Amino acid sequence: MAVLRRMLPGAVVAVLVLGLPLVVHDRYLLKVLSFVGIDVVVVLGLALLFGFAGQISLGQAAFFGIGAYTTSVLVAALGWPWLGGVAAAVLVSAGAGALLALPVGRLKGHYLAMATLGFGEIALIAFTELKGITGGTDGLSGIPYPQVGSFVARAPEANYLLVWAVAIVAYVLAANVVALRPGRALRALHGSEAGAQASGIDVARTKVTAFAVAAGLAGLGGALYAHLVGFISPGSFTIELSILLVAMVALGGMGSLPGAVVGAVLLGMLPYLDAVVPGLTKSTVEALQSWEADIYGAVLILVMLFMPHGLAGAFRRFFPGRGGEGS
Amino acid sequence: MGPGQVSWPELLQFAIAGLKNGAIYALVALGFTIVYASTNVINFAQGEFYMLGGMFATFGFSHLGLPLGLAALAAVIATAAVAVVFELLAVRPRVGGDPMTIIIVTVGGSVLLRSLARHAFGSNELALPAFSPGESIMLGGAAIDRQTLWVWAVAAVAVFALWLLYSRTRLGRAMRATAIDGEAARLVGIDTRLLVTVSFALAAVLGAIAGVVVTPLTQTAFDVGAAVGLKGFAAAILGGLGNPLAAVVGGLVLGLLESLSVAFISSTFKDAIALAVLLLVLFVRPSGLLGRSRREKV
Amino acid sequence: MSLLAAQGLTRRFGGLVAVDDVSFEVFEGTILALIGPNGAGKSTLFNLLTAFDRADAGRVAFDGRDLAGLPPHRLVRLGLARTFQNTQLFEEMTALENVLAGAHTRTRTGWARAALRLPGTAGEERDAREEAERLLRLVGLEAVARTHAADLPHGTRRLLEVARALASHPRLLLLDEPAAGLNSAETGQLAHVLRQVRDSGVTLIVVEHDMGLVMEVSDEIVVLNEGRKIAEGPPLLIQKDPAVIAAYLGEEAADA
Repeated sequence: MAVLRRMLPGAVVAVLVLGLPLVVHDRYLLKVLSFVGIDVVVVLGLALLFGFAGQISLGQAAFFGIGAYTTSVLVAALGWPWLGGVAAAVLVSAGAGALLALPVGRLKGHYLAMATLGFGEIALIAFTELKGITGGTDGLSGIPYPQVGSFVARAPEANYLLVWAVAIVAYVLAANVVALRPGRALRALHGSEAGAQASGIDVARTKVTAFAVAAGLAGLGGALYAHLVGFISPGSFTIELSILLVAMVALGGMGSLPGAVVGAVLLGMLPYLDAVVPGLTKSTVEALQSWEADIYGAVLILVMLFMPHGLAGAFRRFFPGRGGEGS
Repeated sequence: MGPGQVSWPELLQFAIAGLKNGAIYALVALGFTIVYASTNVINFAQGEFYMLGGMFATFGFSHLGLPLGLAALAAVIATAAVAVVFELLAVRPRVGGDPMTIIIVTVGGSVLLRSLARHAFGSNELALPAFSPGESIMLGGAAIDRQTLWVWAVAAVAVFALWLLYSRTRLGRAMRATAIDGEAARLVGIDTRLLVTVSFALAAVLGAIAGVVVTPLTQTAFDVGAAVGLKGFAAAILGGLGNPLAAVVGGLVLGLLESLSVAFISSTFKDAIALAVLLLVLFVRPSGLLGRSRREKV
Repeated sequence: MSLLAAQGLTRRFGGLVAVDDVSFEVFEGTILALIGPNGAGKSTLFNLLTAFDRADAGRVAFDGRDLAGLPPHRLVRLGLARTFQNTQLFEEMTALENVLAGAHTRTRTGWARAALRLPGTAGEERDAREEAERLLRLVGLEAVARTHAADLPHGTRRLLEVARALASHPRLLLLDEPAAGLNSAETGQLAHVLRQVRDSGVTLIVVEHDMGLVMEVSDEIVVLNEGRKIAEGPPLLIQKDPAVIAAYLGEEAADA
């Protein structure tokens, strides 16, 4: 019974999220929410790596891009089925994450931040210069919609349901991980590496796993993105995206999955606020989009100065004893 | 042009270009080193100081009609002012706390400064005239642009001034003491908080000088800071973080490496060279080529 | 039979020989204290024994097995657990979660099993929690099980680290200055816990400054001075050993 009671609020949220297309038929809003759902998938990975394990990555956009290019090349150029392309995207980006983690895992703090930032830049150069595969700055177009058998997810409703179903599954899996033994190992890593080693935790291996999982989820998000948009180019995988993802985790609160989701939804919705707030003028929205990066930068600074535990920390302070913890 | 077919004058030309970029990287690397010495943290907004220097100078020259020299000076001062405001408002409240917090604050600061610059100065490339117009100077079959001489001269003066500051002034001695042991420096009455502010100002001055003096050669834009920041950091870490001399050597070596890679490999991945060097040094010898390796104590 | 045997351990830092050709053995079910004046090399030796540092010469055998080249976390798996002079707790985790993390090597749930909550994970988690609660009771911390480590007072933190180390069910527990900074009541509680742990069959090595505690709990004492072993034996003999007295008097003379 306790299990059921614990799962009830989450199940209600899931039903509400998936039921939304029954009441909302605004194609623009559904599109926007689909992109937000993709942000959620990617941020869940970074929340595990950065929020729980304390390992900052300023290069998540690279894995997002690796996933996007992998499925695009396989499906659009080589005729793989959609599901195969997406699965390959996850595996390739997770593999890249693990490979990066092998050397990078020894680094800490600003060294780790710089190394991942440098990796992101190298990936961006590769996306731009490996023209034979990536199409260079022109990018790749004609990437087909998600398709399983004869069903093609072309309608915004189908896109929305697909993305959010993936996001909900990813959330449940991640929540299970953080509540149990592997999650404690991640948080132990954040708390004290020496203490983690003394507890018998293989620090290097845990980091590699966390990097791989975070990269895999970023790659999954990238693959979903490519098939929804139909066109990708290096401009979608810049350092700015990597920093935005870190801002989402920081805003939500380190070490909180619900916080990370809320952070992703809030910052992800920002440029498309007109989809949910009626009566916003076109110029307001344009101004918002133009000042997008300024807002992200300011959010990062303000959260660190005034709300270091993010929204989740503020929530815990106002409602003591409720939610947020892994237990 | 392939390996083995590079003539001596061509090689010299590449070396000149490399040392020109290297001088710029050295100045930016010095900025990283100075802030690191006072805070033990990397300032991820360092590249933006370089950008702001060039942007302020073009603005002062083109829009305010200032004479070139005055525009350059004003740009350096304005950048230092921005850095001091940023430090006081955003960094100071968190100095001494979790280093990750300062990392994120400066990452946020770099994004913010970059986009504010775009709003203030637009997203077009902006140019500045050469400091002393005229023909290039020929040397052993290679041409040296007069502005390149300015880059070297200004960089050399800046490094020399910094050396004087460090070795001959009370402030400099206090900064060195803080770099060696912040706790002890505090105990003997050094205001380490003030030194953090000073170090941000100095780092901004060096970055802005680099940005101003190179703009006549390369033009500038709101988004040039990130790449130069990464390269400056690569230079700083190549030499060994925290050692000013090593930062200068690291900058010159990196510039040469980059330039020679264009000569012997290809220009396509020129920007990737510095990044590859950065990753390689981080993986193999994070203490840098000139630094001493350090063990972590439990 | 000896559970742990150190042989000719040497560690140099530049020109300084911090640990110089030290050999000793610990017998199963006993408490061995490592003592010595400041700078005697106790902590360095401790880090050599737990693989947090590498010896320049010499070897450590645990239950007959050479530990050379093994990383620290593998030692935990073999049955060696440690605490730290500067506590290395997981500050943002509760006391209970800290102890649960200490049970890492005794539990098996990996990423995939946890993500899917496969059969067996719930049972393992329940068992681990019961055991963690038992260990918290053992060290007298059951009342603060849900308090974050960061919010615990100093003395409590040391005991929590002992509980976390015990969660791996070690055969040998190494404690680095467990009484440092404790008041006399807390030291008494610590002595009580250490004896209970020993009586439950765990062997202990304790690096300690507090002579009262050392004399009270230890079966065997190894004395280090300037990196070398200068004496070893039961407490009553060590107290009278002229070399030991000279080493400690030398320290007091230097202090004065």
